[in-house]
Amino acid sequence: MSKPVVQRLLLLIPVLFGISLVTFLLMHVSAEDAVDVMYRQSGAVSESVKAATRTRLGLDRPLLVQYALWLRALFLGTSLSIGTGLPVSGMILAKLPATLALTFSSLALTVAVSLPLGIYCALHKDKVPDYIIRIGSFAGNALPGFFVSFLLLYYVAVRLHWLPVMGDGSWRSFILPACSLALPMTAKYTRYIRGGFLRELGKPYVSASLLRGIPYSIILRRFVLKSASLTLITVLALSVGSLLGGTAIIESIFRIDGIGNMAVRAILMKDYPVIQAYVLWTAVIYTFVNLAADLLYHHFDPRIVATDTSEGGGIHD
Amino acid sequence: MTGSSCRQSVHGLLCFLLAGLISCAIVLTGCGGTKKAAHGEKVFRYGTMAYGVAMYNAGMNPHKSYNGWSAIRYGVGETLFRFDDKMQPVPWLATGYDRPDDYTVRIRIRDGVTFSNGRPCDAEAVAACLRHLVKVHERAKGNLRLTSVTARGNIVTLHSSQKTASLIHQLCDPYGCIVDVSQDLKDDTKVVGTGPFITESLTPTEIHLRKNPHYWGGQVKTDQVIVKSITDGEMLTMALQNGEVDAVQGMPYSSITLFEAAKDKFKILSVPTSRVFQAAMNFRTPALQDGRIRAAICMALNKQQFVRALLNENGYAAIGTFPANLPYGGSKVHDDGYNPDKARALLAEAGYKDTDGDGYVDKDGKNLELRWLTYTSRQELPLLATAMQGYLKKAGIRLNVNATDNSGDFLKKGDWDIYSKAIVTAPTGDPQYYIANHFTAQSAHNDGRYRNPRVDALVQRFSGEFDPERRGQLAIAIVQQVLDDHAFLYAGHLRMNLVMRNGVQGFVPHPCDYYEVTKDLDVPGEGR
Repeated sequence: MSKPVVQRLLLLIPVLFGISLVTFLLMHVSAEDAVDVMYRQSGAVSESVKAATRTRLGLDRPLLVQYALWLRALFLGTSLSIGTGLPVSGMILAKLPATLALTFSSLALTVAVSLPLGIYCALHKDKVPDYIIRIGSFAGNALPGFFVSFLLLYYVAVRLHWLPVMGDGSWRSFILPACSLALPMTAKYTRYIRGGFLRELGKPYVSASLLRGIPYSIILRRFVLKSASLTLITVLALSVGSLLGGTAIIESIFRIDGIGNMAVRAILMKDYPVIQAYVLWTAVIYTFVNLAADLLYHHFDPRIVATDTSEGGGIHD
Repeated sequence: MTGSSCRQSVHGLLCFLLAGLISCAIVLTGCGGTKKAAHGEKVFRYGTMAYGVAMYNAGMNPHKSYNGWSAIRYGVGETLFRFDDKMQPVPWLATGYDRPDDYTVRIRIRDGVTFSNGRPCDAEAVAACLRHLVKVHERAKGNLRLTSVTARGNIVTLHSSQKTASLIHQLCDPYGCIVDVSQDLKDDTKVVGTGPFITESLTPTEIHLRKNPHYWGGQVKTDQVIVKSITDGEMLTMALQNGEVDAVQGMPYSSITLFEAAKDKFKILSVPTSRVFQAAMNFRTPALQDGRIRAAICMALNKQQFVRALLNENGYAAIGTFPANLPYGGSKVHDDGYNPDKARALLAEAGYKDTDGDGYVDKDGKNLELRWLTYTSRQELPLLATAMQGYLKKAGIRLNVNATDNSGDFLKKGDWDIYSKAIVTAPTGDPQYYIANHFTAQSAHNDGRYRNPRVDALVQRFSGEFDPERRGQLAIAIVQQVLDDHAFLYAGHLRMNLVMRNGVQGFVPHPCDYYEVTKDLDVPGEGR
């Protein structure tokens, strides 16, 4: 492993420590705790019952002691959810397949549609199809995900009966949520890809290659597409990070038991161990995805080199 | 020339990506799916908003959190006593009881009852279950205060450190679900109850149940029950429309009209419940320390209109704390009714008049302005908040609504003047639970710090009273005093709906919201 990569991974340790501490303290700013929320619905318990529950969960101990105990449980893998009583690591692992499936199916759909559309638009700049696709991408960007979800559900599932309304874990039940996520992403990606392609097509190396008699298709495939991929990698890295962090609204609408749903539930229930684990998971994901993106930059354009972070940055042009 | 080559390259790339998509789909197929039912099997698919981690009932172990609700609702377990339609306890796994003294109850256990694993559910098994319950379940321990549980013959004897006036009612709470504690309670699929169904699999979003072939109570009509947690109201509506579920609970009011209009396909069964939409006055707010202001607020609300126009008749106007189907509820108490003229007159009497013509009454140069705190997870509460805003504006009071799911924080910090919530007032069929928790100086949920020594004295008498009729009379006197003090405002009681396909039989709502899936549930077989 190269030195910058190792440095980036080592940097993750203080980052995770800082994030977990800040999150922990912020969560306890709230006047209400997990036990209040737990018994709120019934309203049937006395303060002594709440106190007993707090003692059992260790929530009556000083804040820093609680943090230290959580840290210890984290390292030992014994951190338990307050809401379910189950190991937090197991809960995240159980939610991961659904989130991964949703992430990769929506991304694959996005790339499969937006890449050809973006390239087509760039090659037919300012022609009628370009205008139509650009207007479509404006509309796609403007539509919120939940609205798209309900439109798809109503027409595709309820009216046409082509697909099920609810997720049952089968691949058919991932089509509508993947489409709901992919539609706004496709709109955004198409514009980025079009822009990236047009930028590359305007560069002198394209004209020079044509003058040298290199076929246009080869120029597009070997040089332009490769260079324009950097734009795609940048947006893909951001999307992967946010999708793996969970898409709570879509997961909730389509009854997908993923990470996003788990996180929202944990926040509403003030389930501290789960929230902490979720925050760490998101931080790790973003770090790794950005690292992977940096390495891919170097792969696609060797002029972008990885350097020692102590020399003023990670991987740069 | 170049255009054609370009098209080829793009085509190649597209093919590559589509191949990736198809691979992705193939991998996803391996993620599983719903198990197929055998031809002719009777499978009931139920979509509900009332099951899930956020409800603290995503499990079957009744000795943990609120999981007992799931065990009872979905037919896995049963309690010693259950509520009838008038919320009075009647024997279930027990055949009766007696009280040798104020602190002791002797319960006779029904003969011939077996757990779903075939083990007899005798007095020993019941006693072991109750001992385990009070050992591990903080809420049960605090409510029941059992000092000993013993078994002899078919009798279980319970000794409590408090008078046992409401003990039988409390044993109807789902935590009182009797399970075989000799089995592993940690694994939800291995929790063994006495009910008509056995858990096959359980996740935080779905439960698969199969009928108990040895059910002691008779033939179970449905082979499989699949409970699906659906947290979105629109999704619930579409799932029923699309035939993916046979029945739903928690349908949004706006969607119910769709099913009312399709009577040839669907039916709606509803029942009044004791869930009330209420508002507590904050006695720390200077303006609300004046009884005339509190009375004016109560009189400004048109409860009938609120229920008719905003709840679409899915509730009924409340007078006091308890609903009309309880012997101490409904019109047994009286309020001041809707009287906007008197409300304005009371404000004037308290010194509040609109001197600057801005539409709001003021005193010493300050408008009468109040903060209404509520939360959004119950669809009726924001509706009540906005309705009150309009009604109080007519009376001349400016109301600032804070509808937030973080209401607990504001409540604890005291950043509110009126706090509105929805609460089940008689979950155990007995008024003690609500009264003890809301009306006395020491009550855990007396959020507004309401104090009335007469109420405190009545509650004390009530706690030591065993005779049901006298308990009812005391409950009426307490609630009437609270209404006369205008300490709480009761807007309406909820009507619970179950919407289902016409073929579903034996699936009826119950006022206490505990009993849903029973042996009588019946649906047409698969392949119908």
